Amino acid sequence: MKREKSKKYGWLQWLRILSQIIFFSLFFFLFLKTHYPGEDYFKTTVERFFHFDPLLALATIIGSRIVYLALLLSGITLVAALFLGRFVCGWVCPLGTVHQFFSFIFKKAGVLKPKKDDRMTLVPKYLILTIILVAAIFALNLSGYLDPLSLLYRSFAVYVSPLLNLIFSRSGSLAYSVGLKSIGQELGQTLGNLSLNNIFHNALFIGLIFLGVLLLNAWKERFWCRYLCPTGALLGLFSRFNLFKLKIDPNRCIECNLCSIQCETDARPFPAENWRSSECVYCETCAAICPTAAITFPLRWQKEKIKGVNLSRRKVLLTSLTAIFLTPIFKITSSRQRSSPALIRPPGALPEEKFLAKCVKCGECMKVCPTNGLQPALAEAGPEGLWTPVLVPRIGYCEYYCSLCTQVCPTGAIRELTVEEKTQVKIGTAWVNKNRCLPYALGKPCIVCEEHCPVSPKAIQLIRIATVTPEGKIESPLAPFVNVDTCIGCGICENKCPVVDEPAITVSSVGEQRSEKNRLILQVIGEDEPH
Amino acid sequence: MERRDFIKSLFMSGLAVKLKPEPFPQPPLPELSVAEGESPAVITREALKTLGGMSRFVSRADKVLVKPNIGWDRTPEMAACTNPEVVRALVEMAYEAGAREVIVMDHTINQAKRCYVRSGVQEAARQAGAKVLFAEEQRLKKVALKGEWLKEWSVFQDFLEVDRIINVPVAKVHSLSRVTLGMKNWLGAIGGSRNQLHQRIDQSMVDLAAFFKPSLTVLDAYRILFRNGPQGGRVSDTKLMKTVIAGTDPVAVDAYGATFFDLKPAELLFLKLARDRGLGKSDLEKVRIEKRKV
Repeated sequence: MKREKSKKYGWLQWLRILSQIIFFSLFFFLFLKTHYPGEDYFKTTVERFFHFDPLLALATIIGSRIVYLALLLSGITLVAALFLGRFVCGWVCPLGTVHQFFSFIFKKAGVLKPKKDDRMTLVPKYLILTIILVAAIFALNLSGYLDPLSLLYRSFAVYVSPLLNLIFSRSGSLAYSVGLKSIGQELGQTLGNLSLNNIFHNALFIGLIFLGVLLLNAWKERFWCRYLCPTGALLGLFSRFNLFKLKIDPNRCIECNLCSIQCETDARPFPAENWRSSECVYCETCAAICPTAAITFPLRWQKEKIKGVNLSRRKVLLTSLTAIFLTPIFKITSSRQRSSPALIRPPGALPEEKFLAKCVKCGECMKVCPTNGLQPALAEAGPEGLWTPVLVPRIGYCEYYCSLCTQVCPTGAIRELTVEEKTQVKIGTAWVNKNRCLPYALGKPCIVCEEHCPVSPKAIQLIRIATVTPEGKIESPLAPFVNVDTCIGCGICENKCPVVDEPAITVSSVGEQRSEKNRLILQVIGEDEPH
Repeated sequence: MERRDFIKSLFMSGLAVKLKPEPFPQPPLPELSVAEGESPAVITREALKTLGGMSRFVSRADKVLVKPNIGWDRTPEMAACTNPEVVRALVEMAYEAGAREVIVMDHTINQAKRCYVRSGVQEAARQAGAKVLFAEEQRLKKVALKGEWLKEWSVFQDFLEVDRIINVPVAKVHSLSRVTLGMKNWLGAIGGSRNQLHQRIDQSMVDLAAFFKPSLTVLDAYRILFRNGPQGGRVSDTKLMKTVIAGTDPVAVDAYGATFFDLKPAELLFLKLARDRGLGKSDLEKVRIEKRKV
């Protein structure tokens, strides 16, 4: 018999790669576009990818008991999975593409050597999914940790963006230093336009996780997609009809097993009756590399069962129980009882409980923040709030006429606001530390905080004080006095305070409008009314 | 030639020399021109015309840097930044005078792109053909300022690489220096810890003004900020003055600007320091001022 690979599936494989490139480029393009566009509002929905993610939709809708309409688009992905299986994993998912790329590299480098009969169980991702969904029932949203889009975007926002910034600025200064002024200027101005944020605390942590996940591809092809991805598991569960069925022509098959060895996701094409349809991502590799073109994917209507995944009822039940016990552990945190002063949420953020139930830790807001002030939380918001956005005024303040973070939040954890509405939102309150403030402590003039206060009339007012110096001289500089009613907590005062290490004026979350508990001045209705 | 003719011609030519019309005695050009009117662009042009025209300051093939105040993310109605039409007129005039390139830039306080957009300066300057640049950190260079207080400071090299600098501040109140006019505008040409200069703000302003030495200062007082300075926030914090002041003497320009805020130049420390430093005249009585209304 003549040995010849299938041309048709060869082309289809290329088409799949093209599709991956297009979707990844789109993802990256939208990522780069997520910065101040030169006007107050985005014309494109830069966060669109997230709306098609069914895991995020389920976890946030169940977790918060609020239906965010845009997330219903993920229904399209689910319906597609119902009839086309996990093709989204193979053709669309940008993280899948990244993994595919690195697996390819590791294979070429000879580091990754696929085995004939891989015995590693594919169950973990289903159990991860179970934990996420059960936790969501108990109003705990864990989807953000391991959702592929959240993971990728967060890693890009917090880790890749600073890297790009570094590359741009370093090559810019290199160009300047060797006399290529126009190139240096081009790079410098581009950087000013793109505003790639470059400072993130715990960027190393998030970056190392990302690199770790990529390195796993050296062990098993698409390790993440096979064993860990909860969204992949969800799509696997929805792969119930898979209109395109794997078929192996027994007359052509030489039982070389190449298809199963090279399968990206361990879906075992051979023998065809054991094909794990819920694992197949329709990458077309098997059909394309089959030396005798024995593999095809003809259209056929037949219900599918989950095969090759030992997902026993007992395992699911045990995992669910684990999740039930896990939930309170995530929620045992002092921040539930008393707000952390450092937990300054972006303007428009929902009350903390709802916010945590909706935030998927994707990092869109951190990417778009023009001052780099929004940072991934470490401990400020308790274990469930890891990597949720928190404003760190020392790094960047909340820009007065900016509502971009409220526009890009894909789940509505940050409510969309107009610029006008945003300027009215109080996210915290500024406090003067008289022990460090130049006029109070040293009798020196300053007023920098007052100068920068964006509110009119200014929330930082100036009073004439008297400071006695050791020489017995009385200095009478102007000193700041914060009006807590008009202060919006934007933090520009803290950011610009010349006492750099520990600013003499700091913003804490108290007084934040979204909270009923974290209030400062008690306002009793009718207080001002005449008796 | 006969002797008589010779004498005659000698006499005639001598007469011709004697009667050659003398150059019309021109009054000296003003040091300060003040133009008032409805259109910011028209009064800017008028102020320069009165001052002797842009060609007095910009020569052919000059590289010119126009330094407006674009420090804040505010619209022109807030009077926190220089009026875009004033900047546009200056860029146009610089090109008309033969400038090779006109650069417009400022080291902003809010995000640069926002300030450039919302102030309207970027668009206006670009339309007039200027190159509008963001201040780049990597272009900062430590420079000997040789000031009284500021011995050295980091300055954007763009300011050092041009032939001419035109300073275009906007008139605003300030809690420390009381007003921010031309001299304070230089804080936008430098990097470093600018917020520490407030500890001796008046001296800093003078040290910087002595270093930068603009060819021309054009103070935008079309709309001034009289309250909640230096960024305002409400239109009610501003007042329409519909005036542009142009001058070669940066101290005199600021001294004139102070009068919009009902301040006497003598009340302002930085003017006194600047005068003592020999940067210009702070006593308006001694300044040749010409006022126009258009």
